[in-house]
Amino acid sequence: MSKSYFDETHCAFGHPKSTFMQWMLTVDHKRIGIMYAVVMFTFFFVAVAAALTMRFELFAPGQQFIDAHTFNQAFTLHGVVMVFLFIIPGIPAVFGNIVMPLMIGAKDVSFPRLNWFTFWLYIVGCIVALSSLFNFNIADGSLVFNFADTGWTFYAPYSLNTDTNVVTTLVAAFILGMASILTGLNFLVTIHRLRAPGMDFFKMPLFVWGIYATAWIQLLATPVIGITLVLALLEKYFGIGIFDPAKGGDPVLFQHLFWIYSHPAVYLMILPAFGIMSEIIPAFSRREIFGYRTIALSSAAIAGVGYLVWGHHLFTSGMSDLAKTMFSFLTFFVAIPTGIKFYDWIATMYKGKIILDTPMLWALGTIITFAIGGLSGVTIAMIGADIHLQDTYYTIAHFHYAMLGGVVFLFFAGIHYWFPLVFGKMYSEAKAKFAFYTLFIGFNLLWFPMFIAGYLGMPRRYFDYLPEFHIYHQISFWGAIIFVSGLIFMFYTLIQGMRNGKPTTPNPWNATTLEWHLPSSPPPLENHTKVPYVDFRPYEYHHGQPVVKFDENMKRID
Amino acid sequence: MLEGFGSSAATFAADIDNMLYVNLVLSVVLFLSVVAPMFYFAWKYRASKVKDENIENITHHTLLEITWTVVPTIMLGVFFWYGYATMKTLRTMPDASDAITVQVEGSKWKWRYEYPANSNGYVHKLGGAFTKPVVDENGRVIEKGSMGKSALYVPVGTNVILEMTAPLGDVLHSFFVPAFRMKEDVVPGRITKQWFKADKVGEFDVECAEYCGTDHSYMYSRIVVLPKAEYEAWFNSNDDTPKGNYAKGGDAVLQLHGCKSCHAVTTDKQLIGPALKTRTLTKDQVLDVIKNGQNKLGYDMGAMPAGLATGTDAQEIAAYVAGGLKGTAPASFAACSSCHGEDGKGQFGTAPSLVSYDATLLAHVLKHGKKGMIGTMPAFPYVSDEEVSAMAEYLNSTK
Repeated sequence: MSKSYFDETHCAFGHPKSTFMQWMLTVDHKRIGIMYAVVMFTFFFVAVAAALTMRFELFAPGQQFIDAHTFNQAFTLHGVVMVFLFIIPGIPAVFGNIVMPLMIGAKDVSFPRLNWFTFWLYIVGCIVALSSLFNFNIADGSLVFNFADTGWTFYAPYSLNTDTNVVTTLVAAFILGMASILTGLNFLVTIHRLRAPGMDFFKMPLFVWGIYATAWIQLLATPVIGITLVLALLEKYFGIGIFDPAKGGDPVLFQHLFWIYSHPAVYLMILPAFGIMSEIIPAFSRREIFGYRTIALSSAAIAGVGYLVWGHHLFTSGMSDLAKTMFSFLTFFVAIPTGIKFYDWIATMYKGKIILDTPMLWALGTIITFAIGGLSGVTIAMIGADIHLQDTYYTIAHFHYAMLGGVVFLFFAGIHYWFPLVFGKMYSEAKAKFAFYTLFIGFNLLWFPMFIAGYLGMPRRYFDYLPEFHIYHQISFWGAIIFVSGLIFMFYTLIQGMRNGKPTTPNPWNATTLEWHLPSSPPPLENHTKVPYVDFRPYEYHHGQPVVKFDENMKRID
Repeated sequence: MLEGFGSSAATFAADIDNMLYVNLVLSVVLFLSVVAPMFYFAWKYRASKVKDENIENITHHTLLEITWTVVPTIMLGVFFWYGYATMKTLRTMPDASDAITVQVEGSKWKWRYEYPANSNGYVHKLGGAFTKPVVDENGRVIEKGSMGKSALYVPVGTNVILEMTAPLGDVLHSFFVPAFRMKEDVVPGRITKQWFKADKVGEFDVECAEYCGTDHSYMYSRIVVLPKAEYEAWFNSNDDTPKGNYAKGGDAVLQLHGCKSCHAVTTDKQLIGPALKTRTLTKDQVLDVIKNGQNKLGYDMGAMPAGLATGTDAQEIAAYVAGGLKGTAPASFAACSSCHGEDGKGQFGTAPSLVSYDATLLAHVLKHGKKGMIGTMPAFPYVSDEEVSAMAEYLNSTK
């Protein structure tokens, strides 16, 4: 039996004997990706717990078991952890690391040591974020829960006035941003320099395109949030007055700076997810993808236009009407390439052979949920509609349909798709499908009522609500219960598969891209035995079988 | 559904609803254009029915691709146009000469309205904080929250312009009227505007839609649309309340000015500011005043100097005052009684009462604000003398 990357590894320095230290010091992109996944999903469950707390509190009007201030801290915790610790590192940190180098036939990323450093920088960011949860009371040695109560958007002037631990949270976001920049840099260089010979940009798998577009956003947009956070710190400690109207500053400026990053950031989240979709659809339709070029270029287009639309978060902020018009107009140009992708995916299914395994179920489920998420986004891109719907539950429902029903669902799709590649074992298909249906039903029950409640005037971030909205909160509550049960069951199934799953071959899905042409499963430390020569398109099928085949020395044998 | 939501109460509310209806119909069309073929293909080309040699690798179809680019683009153009046109309606302010302009101030956590002077030169100032609903131990609402007498009163069929701002040092809020389908942020240091023309007589909820802290979810107000004659009669009177039986007296005044959002009145609970049940000073507060002096009340007579007593003397005084001035006064209390009186009840215009609220103290604090041990209480300069005495009388009755 050949050795896999679980048996041996390269370290950033030294040659430690203990397995634990080998994991701590590993520079192997696959191991780092797994470690990201472990940490991120731990935080994911923390954020889910915060959200569930809110749902319990909102089950009935009035105060149930936490007070308004704690509730405000709970939604801040949910937002900060989900956004900065989970979904921004997200798919790039996990699958960008594990799969992207395999897809382009590389032995690792360009800067493995930097990759190691980035992971630990991310951990430092997480620790700082955790330290902002509590104030340590020196007098009696007790911990007082004092997490920020600003919402994850940290809008000035509230964030500059509150007594909670906003500063520590800002520092954490700054460090996590730095990690994000370094990840982007590393991936950009990797994709430019380490593609297998012959693989030009239009022979890259579409997931690599997604990661590539994302990496540019990470590199170019993230510094803006860094600057914003530093300005907030300077304002708080030195009173420079840039956001303080009493000194001639402008609180709305904070919103502009914040969204200049945070809007492209949602494309940073969704583009790799779209990449996963583009991998799964052809593999489970057993045919070549429809419109390869338009899908690839639409990712680039979304990344480009995505920089110019941040103002649609400010339609009711007091911004000038001309600016609103421009931002609204530009926003619709994001919808067009996104729509084209969807039609390309559907067309890929035409005259294929649709195999409804778990990854495909997740992908098709996401087409439904993300279509709702995307179209409800188009609704609030209309200025007049947004004046009514801004800051209501409608916006919350839209955001969760796009981020959870889009990014996270596709993340789950990717987990089920690449699971046999990463572990060389298979989870139980029946259980995984059951988990999908539970999550899909729970998800829609949880968020769809919010569209209606929002239209009827239920504002977001409300600890208490008027009795008129009771029914919508109740339905959401039961949806949340089903959803969380599904989550627990899904992770239980995956962990079970990881421990006792049936061993798989290197290419269990009959897929075409290079990560499925490894010599053994799980893959060896340095991936492919030889760097292949790539003079073929990424999704070539003939009569439902992959066209390109390799022998154990990566020689074409088809 | 919120009060008045379904009645399409402002002139432009129907435009917004029509736009959302068009958007919904076209969105459903777009949604089905993706999801319907998805289900159809997943069924028609299901694995059990497709022979491998029948799979076709179609990768391009120019006409189709142009269609699914151009048709949705046209639909998006329609959406943009609707959004733009309704924005123009909502954001084009009517001529000020043809409208009533009301100043709106949003602050933590209340709305206040100030009208132009009426024919008598009287300026109506309305608004205040929302009373939270009363909930039993199972979380059931026993008593709905209420606005009391605080509301924005407007005539039906008349343009109303809201000029909105928040005090410097406060935070963002957003004036959201779901029944009118309108909303605009309230920004410290800026004046933002919105307008409406109410179609129907009735009452309509106002919510704060921009997160503003602990009591964000209780920052309600109400717009009361009156028949024109009733509005005119009210506007030209000097009575702030057009109709209804609102309790006069101190409690209503405290409610009106939002005192209750920071101060507990009938209990000893410490909210953001100290409880108002009696003037309960803690030992720490008394010691702080003795050590650092007191010049925050804005007394014309001058500040209380620091260090009038030290050491055990100060401790004794603090214990005595915090205990409600019961029992025998320590000898060192002589340092205080020369100004605050033997009974600690203060002297008019010179020194505040240490045990109960008097009108002078309240007037000074309300006029100048106060930097306390916990935070800064802003000034409330618009509270009238009558209101101050009502408050003082009421507060001393709560002992």
